[in-house]
Amino acid sequence: MESKGVSRRDFIKTVGITTALAATGTIPPVLYASERRLVTFPEKTELLLLTSSPPQLETPLKYFRELVTPNEALFVRWHLSNIPTSVDLDSWRLVIHGNVDKPISLSMDELKKFEKVGYTAVIQCAGNGRSFFEPPIFGGQWMNGAMGNVTWGGVRLKDLLKSAGIKSGSMEVVFKGLDKAALPTVPGFLKSLPLDKALEDDIIVAYEMNGSELPMLNGFPVRLVVPGWYATYWVKSLSDIEVTDKPSENFWMKTAYRIPDDPCGCVEPGGAPKKTVPINRMTTRSLLINPEDGSRLKSGQSIELMGVAFSGGYSIREVLVSIDGGMNWSPARLGKDLGRYSWIQWFYPWQPAKPGNYQVMVRATNSIGESQPLDGLWNSSGYLLNKIEKYNLIVA
Amino acid sequence: MKFIILLFISAALFFTSAALAGDQGFVKEGSKRSITLPAPNITLKEGPGRDVTSSYCRICHSLDYITTQQKFTKAKWMAVVTKMIKVYGAPISGENAKIIADYITTHYGIGG
Ligand code: HEC
Repeated sequence: MESKGVSRRDFIKTVGITTALAATGTIPPVLYASERRLVTFPEKTELLLLTSSPPQLETPLKYFRELVTPNEALFVRWHLSNIPTSVDLDSWRLVIHGNVDKPISLSMDELKKFEKVGYTAVIQCAGNGRSFFEPPIFGGQWMNGAMGNVTWGGVRLKDLLKSAGIKSGSMEVVFKGLDKAALPTVPGFLKSLPLDKALEDDIIVAYEMNGSELPMLNGFPVRLVVPGWYATYWVKSLSDIEVTDKPSENFWMKTAYRIPDDPCGCVEPGGAPKKTVPINRMTTRSLLINPEDGSRLKSGQSIELMGVAFSGGYSIREVLVSIDGGMNWSPARLGKDLGRYSWIQWFYPWQPAKPGNYQVMVRATNSIGESQPLDGLWNSSGYLLNKIEKYNLIVA
Repeated sequence: MKFIILLFISAALFFTSAALAGDQGFVKEGSKRSITLPAPNITLKEGPGRDVTSSYCRICHSLDYITTQQKFTKAKWMAVVTKMIKVYGAPISGENAKIIADYITTHYGIGG
């Protein structure tokens, strides 16, 4: 067993946090959670380590300067420790069964005979930004790197389901991958979609990321892509699709990955929800990517602030930027539009006239008016984070 | 000042290291793809209860599931250990659960 990737690197803090310390002189509450080592896993560039088994690896923010996130830099998040480490396409099959006329079992070649479709879509973990919740929440202490923007290629789930023939009375479609738990008492990782959702045109079984095969750690050979919805549904190393005539009783749908059943998906900080629903569409977000939080700039020098904005399947209509802690806001220029599931880059030219500490804030609004709250909304699982982020830039 | 120096050191480390992409541990042979994962390598801090914690809490996942959490109270850690037993079937006795919650709170949590 090779242990080089995890064990020998020096323990370092990320640039963002160290600079935040330099800027404010106080220890931010996220410091403990953000002490991260950079590690190299197979087919991956150096990513920030959350956990090694099952692997949870976070993308350093600098990769989001690109419109499309390289495969080697995309974050990794598995739930069960026996993840697939070997797949032979000669024997691999994707099975579609359950409440269907004719169960089918597809090889990769057979799968690729269905019409190929594709688009660029943000993939984001439900718990992205969990480490910023106050009071803190158990679970992966992600900063903002559990996301990426990828061009997916594959076949429509709808086409596969139709070729198996959905029987009347069907309710849900259940997805299962090749990952397994260490003990049989741990519930297998199953996710399901209501049938009408599963039949939407844009849900695909993807065999390509940015024109290449999927890295093993991102779900080789195929994964489900549910654009606009959180990545918990984007089942990796997908091998089994079952149409059912009753609602799923599985732990990962019924108990985990649920949000408060109210319009904000939130409760009083520290509180518990009365009623919950399965998490679904992503909230609207925007981030400053360059310069990084805590950067030092020269007074009088022109720069361009740059970042990304996205929402759960609706185009971004507007991004507003404030450089004075939210007192004044002006629109940013939006970059190339790769469609409603992609993130869009925003740019804001700025020439700081005077030395001092500047607080930058960014706020996006999508085409149906969804935007970002000033203060964080809280829920007991640390999902849906989309508060307006605050960044410090020091001009000297 | 110390922090500012740290900033430059980490920035330098950050950018030099990012150049090394990893094809080690990945093998593509015809129709087959295989990876070798780096072995988890986490040593919990010295103290009473460490061995019990190390042996039970790594059955299903690596110990960094403990060490990368934020600071929580003993009541919260006890609730996590109970969840591991009740929801995921961790084979841990009530007595060991208490030892583990004590150990984790002392070394990775807050309060007593
Ligand atoms: C029977 C298997 C099993 C054992 C033994 C086990 N865990 Fe877990 N643990 C899990 C699973 C499954 C998860 C969810 C993993 C994920 O989603 O990434 C988890 C997640 C966690 C989390 C993250 C928070 C959460 O609730 O998801 C913590 C913290 C944790 N375990 C601590 C412990 C501690 C401490 C012990 C030793 C008392 C332990 N675990 C033993 C199965 C186990």
